Order: sequence, then C-alpha cells, then structure tokens
Amino acid sequence: MSVDRYSGFVFAPADLAEDVDLDVELRKEILFSEANVEKWTHWESLGIPWNAEPAAARDAYIAKVKVFHPDRYPGKRLGSYKARLGKIFRRLTEARDLLVDPGRRAEYVRATAPAQEFAKMEARKLEDERRSQERKARIARGNPLLARAGRVHELARRGKEAFEAGKFAAAANDLLIAAGMDPRNEALATLAADAKRKAAATRANELFQAGLELEVQERWSGALERYREALDADPAHLRASAHGARAAIESGDLASARALAAAAMKSSPQAGLAHEAMGRVLEAEGNAKEAKRALERALELDPRLEGAKERLRKLRWSFLR
Amino acid sequence: MSDLDPVVGIDLGTTNSVVATVRDGVPRVIPNRSGQLLTPSIVAVAKNGKRLVGTLAKRQAITNAENTVFAAKRLIGRRWGSKEVEDARKVLPYRLVAGPEGHDVRVELAGRTVSVPEISAQVLAELKADAEAWFGRPVRKAVVTVPAYFNDGQRQSTKDAGRIAGLEVLRIINEPTSAALAYGFGKQMERKVVVFDLGGGTFDVSILDIGKSVYDVVAVGGDTYLGGEDFDRRVMDWLTFAFAKEKEGIDLRQDRMALQRLKDAAEKAKCELSAAPSTSIHLPFLVAGAEGKGALHLEKQLTREHLEELTKDLVDRCISVAERTLKDAGVRPAQVGEVILVGGMTRMPRVQKAVKDFFGREPCRGVHPDEVVALGAAIQAHALVAPAAKGQEVLLLDVTPQNLGIMVVGGYFQTVIPRNTTVPTSQTHLFTTVQDNQRSVRIAVMQGESERAIDNELLGEFILDGIREARRGEVSIEVTFEISADGIVGVSARDVDTGQEQSITVTATSGLTEDELKRILDEQIDELLEKKATAGEFDERREKAEAVLREIEALVPAVHEALERTRFGKDAVQKAEGVVARVRAAIEAQDAAALDREQENLDRTLQLFKGLAASARQPAGG
Repeated sequence: MSVDRYSGFVFAPADLAEDVDLDVELRKEILFSEANVEKWTHWESLGIPWNAEPAAARDAYIAKVKVFHPDRYPGKRLGSYKARLGKIFRRLTEARDLLVDPGRRAEYVRATAPAQEFAKMEARKLEDERRSQERKARIARGNPLLARAGRVHELARRGKEAFEAGKFAAAANDLLIAAGMDPRNEALATLAADAKRKAAATRANELFQAGLELEVQERWSGALERYREALDADPAHLRASAHGARAAIESGDLASARALAAAAMKSSPQAGLAHEAMGRVLEAEGNAKEAKRALERALELDPRLEGAKERLRKLRWSFLR
Repeated sequence: MSDLDPVVGIDLGTTNSVVATVRDGVPRVIPNRSGQLLTPSIVAVAKNGKRLVGTLAKRQAITNAENTVFAAKRLIGRRWGSKEVEDARKVLPYRLVAGPEGHDVRVELAGRTVSVPEISAQVLAELKADAEAWFGRPVRKAVVTVPAYFNDGQRQSTKDAGRIAGLEVLRIINEPTSAALAYGFGKQMERKVVVFDLGGGTFDVSILDIGKSVYDVVAVGGDTYLGGEDFDRRVMDWLTFAFAKEKEGIDLRQDRMALQRLKDAAEKAKCELSAAPSTSIHLPFLVAGAEGKGALHLEKQLTREHLEELTKDLVDRCISVAERTLKDAGVRPAQVGEVILVGGMTRMPRVQKAVKDFFGREPCRGVHPDEVVALGAAIQAHALVAPAAKGQEVLLLDVTPQNLGIMVVGGYFQTVIPRNTTVPTSQTHLFTTVQDNQRSVRIAVMQGESERAIDNELLGEFILDGIREARRGEVSIEVTFEISADGIVGVSARDVDTGQEQSITVTATSGLTEDELKRILDEQIDELLEKKATAGEFDERREKAEAVLREIEALVPAVHEALERTRFGKDAVQKAEGVVARVRAAIEAQDAAALDREQENLDRTLQLFKGLAASARQPAGG
C-alpha cells in the first residue's frame, strides 16, 4: 500500500471523509481497488504476475480476501464501504475461480499475454503444429491401412493445391487417383470431375491456339488437324469447330467443313461465329442464296464479325453483278 | 467479550438441537435447564392445552402422538405437493395441511394451523431461554446452521423461524462448514478436509480447503432426505412386517400410539447396535388383539449384521454422493488430509467402515459428532460480532449448493449461477420484451440440477411490472440475481436505458410472506403480555404449593415411623405420593391450571401427614 501506488488517482473527499470505523490507509486501498477492479486483469486484481501458477492464484486470493471480505470487520461501522468491499470480493473470487480452472485458464492466459510473450506463444504453437503433422505422417507411413488413407489424403491435398493454382491437368490426375482409392468420398469425386472438365477445356484451348498459329501461316491441313484434336478434348469448343470448318474449306475437304460447321451450329445455335462458318460452307458449296442468309443471320447475332461482313459484301457484289 | 451482548451458535437439528457459545476464547456447549446438552427438536401441545418443547414434549409423545411435532426440519421451506411432503404425510402421526396460498406446508396442532417456521421457532426460543438462563442475561443474536444442501426456501424459512423466536440471525451457515470450523479452530493448519455429515434427517458432504484461518469451501453435495430417521424406518418396517406375519395380519401402522412406540424402540435398537452385536426389542401390550383375545406383545431380536443388511442401500447412497462431490471439487480421495464425521448416524460401525474404505484413511475421532456443529456456529457468531484474538481469526468462504437459474422457453432450466460458486455472489441477466407494449415479465426462479425446469425446486415467481410502453425488443431489463453469505437468493431489476429500478412482485414462495411474519410477531407480543399476567399468578401458586411441599417433606420421616407401627393409612400415603409427583410435574411444566387443580389434594395430603406424624409422636410422648 505504498503511496505511489495511487499516483494519478483522485480520491473523492466525501468518500474519504465518510464516518466509518476504518483507518484512512485502508479507505484509500478500498476506494482505489473498487475503482480499478473492473478494468484490471485477473492477474492484476490478485497482484500476481501474468501466467502465475494456480497455487499462487489461490494463495494470493486468500491473502486478498483477508483484507477485502466484509466479514473481516466485525462490529465496525462500514457505511458505503460494505458494498465496496463486496464488489471487490466478488471480482477477486471471479479471478480465483477462473485462474484455478484448467478449462478456462489456458484461453485467459493467451488473451492477456503481453506482446512479446504472445509472439513466443504463437511461435511455439506453430512449432507444435508442425511437429504433430510430422508425427502423423511418420505413423501413416508405418501402417498399410493408414498408409493408404495417408496416400489418399496426400494426393487429395496435392490435387487441391494444383487445382487452386490453375494447373487443372495435374489436379485432375491426382484427384482422379485419390477418388479411385476412396470411392465413397463424394466431395472428392465431384472435385475430380470438375478438375477433369477444366483440364480438358485448358487442353482444348492450347490445341486451338496451336491451330491458329498454323492458320496464320495458311498451313490449312495442319491447322485442321489441331482443331480436330481440340474438339476431341472439348467437343463444345465453338471457335475450334468454326475455324476448323474454314480450314477444311481451304483444304478442299467440303464434307468435313460441313460436318464441323453443323457441329458448331448444334453446340451453339445462337453464336454468330457458327452461322458465319455455315455461311462459308454454303458459299463454298455454291449455294449463294443460303450462304447470304446464313451470313446475315451471323451479323445479326454478332455485328462485330468482320470476316462475315466481308464475305457478305462479296456475295452481294457478285449477286448484283 | 463480557461487555458485549452474548451471542450463540445454534445447531437446529432434525431430532436434537444444541446451543453453544464462545467464552474466554473457548467454544462450549450450553446445557439446557434440565442439565442436558441435547434438546429434542420436538414441540407438542399437551392434553391440557399447555405448549411443551424439548424433553417434556418428547416424554409425552407416545400418549399424545397427534399433537406432537417432531422432524419439522424435514418440512421447513418445502412446497405443498412436493414429493418430500407427500412422503412425510404418509408416515408422520401429526396432520399436515396446505398454507393459505396453497404453496407451503402447515401443521395442525391442537386445532390450530401453525406454519413450520413457527414450530422451529419454538425450539429456537427454548434454546434461547436456556442460553439466557446460563448467561443470566438476554441473548439476542445467533448464528443458526442448516444442512449445506438446503435451498433458498429452506434457508429463508429457517431465518424466519429465528426472527419469530426473537433472535437476530447473524448468519445462516452450513452444518458441515460449521463442523470444519470447530475442527480447525485455533490450530494453524493447511489441509483439505472432508466433512461427512449424516444427521437425523439430512446428509451432507463438504470439501474444504483450510489454510491460514480461511475456511474455503470447494464443493458441497448432499441429500436433504437421507438420514437417521430413514434407518429407523427400515427397522420399523421390518418389525411391522414380522409382526403382521406372526399375529395374523395385524397392521401396527393403523395404531398411532403403537407406531410411536415402535419408532422409539427402532431408534433405541439402532443406537444400541452401534456398541453391541445384538439387541432385543421388547414392547409389551403393544396393540389390542382380535376380539376376545388379550393385548399383543412384540418380542424380537435384532443383530448388527441384520441391521446393516436392512440399511445397506442407504449407506451406499451416502458414499455415491461423497464420490460425486469429490469429483466436483476435482479432488482425489488420496488428496484428502482429514475426514470429519458429524451427526449421530456416523456412530454406526458400518457407516464408519464405508467411509474408511472409500477415503482409504481412518476418519478423525477428535470431534464430538453431536456437538461439533453448534460449536462451529458459536465460533462464527463470535467472529461476526467482535474482532478475534490473535490466532483465532476465522473467515468462512462458503459456496452455493445447487445451480440457481430460471425457466426458459420450452420448459428448460437455464443456469444463472452454477453450484459451488463462492458466496456472496451475483450475476446479471438481460431480459427483452417480446411483445409490443409489454407491461410485465414473469420470471420463474428455481434451484436444482436438472435440465428440465419441472424437476427443479421453484423458489418463487418474480413479476417485473410497470415496464414502460415501447415496441417489442426495445426495452431491456437487467435482472440481478444475488446469493448472500447466508445462501439466500435476492432478485433486483433495472431498466437498462432509463436506469430505473423495476418493481418486482414475488409469488408462489414456499415460505411465509412478510405480512404473515408481521402478524405472527404481533400475536407473539399479545401472547407474551398474557404470559406476563399469568406468570405472576403462577409464581404465587407455585410459592404456595412449594411451601406445602416443604412441610410435607419435613413430615416424611415421622410418617414412615408411624406406618411401621400401624397398617392404617398405607393406601392413603401411596395416593399422597401420586399427588406430590403431579404437583412437581406441574411446577416443571409451569402449568398454572394443573397446579390449581392439585392444590386442594395437596392441602389434604398435608393434613393427613400431620395426623399420622402426630400419631407417631403420641406413644413416644406418653
């Protein structure tokens, strides 16, 4: 109860002057504690260092209640100090109850940790987690049943990582194997199918790009080959079928061109590109009237199709002529 | 201490009560005016309308079973219709009725309906008078003990009983805690202590951490309906069944007087078997036989072994309660530093053995099981009125025995203050209105261990009314539940936004209402004034009677001498002896009416003795 303990604290003169049987030092201690007890941590109200042992909390509590229990002042007039003592006592009891309860204590220790202690605790926690992971892996390797489960787990984990990284082919590989090893895991099967679909789409795009490169060089038959492969990977790939039809026309394979254009029309009947492809095929077949109609429809659906515009102009010009 | 008012500690037991005090730093039991340390907790109204308490009441219990109330502690603070009360109604020879509100239990005593706290108050008043006689000064303050497992209603009613008896109850403390206090008093010890308290009607276990004069209760457990009387009943049942079998189906339970004799015999046999391996129960002329046959007698042998067999499950129940309490406290039996046995029932060798086997250690033999609770209460009473001498400080930190909570939607019980929380304590709970312009909220406050509200003890219904009108959910009321150091529950409420105290009406309590308490206290004053008037009259009569008695006693040697010579008057002398005995009893019972009736006989006796004495002198003289 040193004087500097109260530095910065203003005692209400009326409280200090109340007519009760308590000496002034005790009054100060009670008033100071009452004003602070709600905002103090449990460590502070018991006057013990952070993370002190439960036994220390119990001892500190016993020492404190000897001062702050209203029963300690028999036959004395306490006035308003009785209620103040009661309030401090309750808070002390709360502190003791929590700090000796193994269930609630750990969380409170973390919540009230000073900054550097908190960092240390976090580091220790991470280290503990890493160790427990290692231990789990070690156990998994030793046991065939666990090993299988461990392998599924590992494949699924790797598959998911690849999936999130956008490496769908690798993801599909791992996930399909994992799903095969653990057939009852529906979530895994769904994810595997999704990865497979996305992997196919990626592959189709790559082949389509390769086809475009050949098309620019006017290597039509090579381009047609790529487009066909792209369509194998993803039969619904619209641009592959449209560009494929064009490449087939240029290669002189009208039958293939018609089949590709028809496929495009079937998979995307509302796509201008499909109608343009069909227009080109019809034009190549000599059906100028139908070709014109198809191209007009293509432009109706997608006015930005420059190729279609040009073909249409040529067709109109030849028709007018 | 001598300049302060004397204070006492009272162990208000189911079968016996004890009063104690601390004098010159030493706790000691105060003997009653008949010189005994234990006063039976029995209240009766005798045939002549005289109220009797204690030994006098017990003495006439057999002939006046219907108007003799014992074991009132089993009923105090209980609700009418509860299982405990229904069970008690079946076995008690006196009549129970519902209170005016239908919630609490009343006793019919000599045509009057009396509340249970009033019955207990009579016992307390008797002990108070004993203490006053011992101190030679009025006694106004006391600490009264209750079983640790008593709920709020039972505690409140016990406190009311104190008030009716004219005592300021400084504190209600738990019996096992009190026993631990008496055990540890004046010794500087630090250890974990278990108190195993098996009394007449209740069983309690408490675990305390005693350290540096602080008695910190860690956990309590118990059963308010398990005690010595259950052991007695097992013996009684065994006797009745055996009797019915041997005597062609005569049911002793139909005869109240026989039942009372049976009860006394069962209790006596049980006590004897704590010391002897076997005992005989002998009840001559117990009931009238079938038509034409004479009275039937009961004659039975009971061995200790058989008694243990009859009561095995009761002992097992005690041990399982102890086990659960230890678990609550997180203490292993091996960590216990001492086991203290309290209550007369712990004298039974089988109980001691069960305790020894469970804790793996001999229980403490240093305390007197009947007196230790009252001594602890006296120590606490002393500590609450005056600063203690060095080395004698005590601080009790007790806990609440049962979960305190409220009933919530769906008939569930929501705990607000869990059991084994150190008292005094408080907890707040927020209530919100659920309807537009809702004016009142009803809160059912209960105590117990069950998740289902209906299985718990209802303490009372609190109605918060006069709530300000607002849309639903806009008014929040903060209700504070408080448990005092007495273990008594208080509820207060406050409107969170306006800070206004909310009014609370309490209904459906198991105790007396404040108005009733006032009425009882008023009645008592009237009675006291009347008593004062009659007391003067009685004293006058007593003086007169005692003067005659002295004269008679002085003549006794001469009368004997006369009788040796003549056969005349032998019958008359025997009759005279009867008169003298009745007068003595009337003086002891302070019964002015009886004294008045006997006065004439007494005067005649004196004349007779004078005549005889004169005849004895005559031959010697001439």
